[in-house]
Amino acid sequence: MFDKFTVFLDEKLSTPMAKLSEQKHLRAVRDGIVATLPIIIVASMFLVIAFLPNSLPESWGFTQFLADNQFKILLPYRMSMYIMTLYAVFGIGYSLAKSYELDGLSGGILAELAYLLTIIPAIIPGASEGVMELATGNAELTTFIEAVPTGFVIPMANLGSGGMFIGILSAFIAVEIYRFTERSGFKISMPEQVPASIARSFEAMTPTAIVILLFATVTMWLEVDVHSIINSIVAPLVSASDTLPSILLITFLNSFFWFFGIHGASIVGSIARPLWLVLLEQNSSAYAIGEAIPNMAPEPFYQWYMYIGGSGATIGLALALFFAKSQYAKTLGKTAFVPALFNINEPLIFGTPIVLNPTLLIPFLLAPMINAVVAWFATSLGLVNRMVALAPWTLPGPIGAFLATGNDWRGALLNIFLIILATLIYYPFVMMYDRQLLAEEHEELHEN
Amino acid sequence: MRVILVCSGGMSSAIAAKSLKEAAQADGIDMEVHESSSVKFQEMVKEDYALALVAPQIRHHFDRLKKDADSAGVPILQIKPRGYSPIGGKFLLAQIKKEAGQVLK
Repeated sequence: MFDKFTVFLDEKLSTPMAKLSEQKHLRAVRDGIVATLPIIIVASMFLVIAFLPNSLPESWGFTQFLADNQFKILLPYRMSMYIMTLYAVFGIGYSLAKSYELDGLSGGILAELAYLLTIIPAIIPGASEGVMELATGNAELTTFIEAVPTGFVIPMANLGSGGMFIGILSAFIAVEIYRFTERSGFKISMPEQVPASIARSFEAMTPTAIVILLFATVTMWLEVDVHSIINSIVAPLVSASDTLPSILLITFLNSFFWFFGIHGASIVGSIARPLWLVLLEQNSSAYAIGEAIPNMAPEPFYQWYMYIGGSGATIGLALALFFAKSQYAKTLGKTAFVPALFNINEPLIFGTPIVLNPTLLIPFLLAPMINAVVAWFATSLGLVNRMVALAPWTLPGPIGAFLATGNDWRGALLNIFLIILATLIYYPFVMMYDRQLLAEEHEELHEN
Repeated sequence: MRVILVCSGGMSSAIAAKSLKEAAQADGIDMEVHESSSVKFQEMVKEDYALALVAPQIRHHFDRLKKDADSAGVPILQIKPRGYSPIGGKFLLAQIKKEAGQVLK
């Protein structure tokens, strides 16, 4: 009965849904954004370092040094995570072009071009004589004028999470134009004797011209502010992703896919990661200027409160296995514990197994969802800081939670509490499963 | 023989790879197992492998990975869940023998 039902679910629901994430555009967004994660993780650490003074004794020279140089320490953050869309767009264009078997580099450059053409740089003139005259004798005004840059200036916020969705769209359009010109033969072709790299750059000229004409027309001549239009469409989606029902749904789906042995986090992430990055970047930029942190649940919230030890809060399973009596569970528990400490749980998922195992399905769904509720209330009551940084997902839970919350030791404490809670939720089910294993082992012994 | 094992990020495959290597060794087979992420697979599979193995959790990528493997002329297998764990090496080896025995010779 259970077997039939799971086969039905797998064939009709989980596998088709997983195949959907193989769709070329979704994959391009996923791969393009995943390629920026190293930047975001390293930049996050600069953010964490810059704000260490908040959690160190004030009297230390080191604390003073950090506090005095905060602006300098944050510079790498400003030039990477803060303008992450600039990087992501290139990756998305590259991946999409590759998936059409086009030149990846040309695809990335075209995507970047289209995206930058949606932004109008401001032209800031130098101070006129009249202004300078006014400023003489006014020290405050003089300093201000000296600090204002002149020439063309790009609003950096448009290059960050605020521009994420327009960036994705620009990359799609640019690469589709590229694909169209390649397919229709509407391009400048070179004779065969011309080296491939030179031929490619000529081939990319037609799509480049189309992209420039199209995007420049929309931005400059029609004066359409695509950034504010797209943002007003996407804003409700972003805030909806930051509610408890969404969090529970995402957590549920993640476990659901893994139950069929499909990489849940990568499937759910295909859709959710752009939203998570927007939530995270809003948080980190508020943190960087000392404002209240706006959002509850960017990706680190899942990583350090729900997916401790891996999807399904399986650190609880790894710990519960220490109490098992069957030979199989004991052996597995020993080998799977260390990877679980670093949030790698495939050994448990396929080893225990959790896949298609009705006994362990319940805690595999329940543990992360109960953790989600606890973490949600702890965070909204202000018992722990909100997530501001992306720590490497392979860090042990408490350390990751400490860093991601911007050096809040209470984050680490909550993580430890949730590990204990998950263990308690897994424990009775693991014992039940252990008895099944033990009975099987007895049978085998008698058969031999 | 050189085998390439592909999983999502190239992390968990290391654990399964180690177990497979040990099982092969115990069986007297000289096997080198390399890990790959699903993104890097297209490039890596060209590097003279006798066999490609796909982790169970990315089976929805199988068709795409098979296309890459086919064009590199590398036979490809979908690992059964039981073979993908730190103690699953011998199951995986048995599956390879059964479904792609020719590459072991």
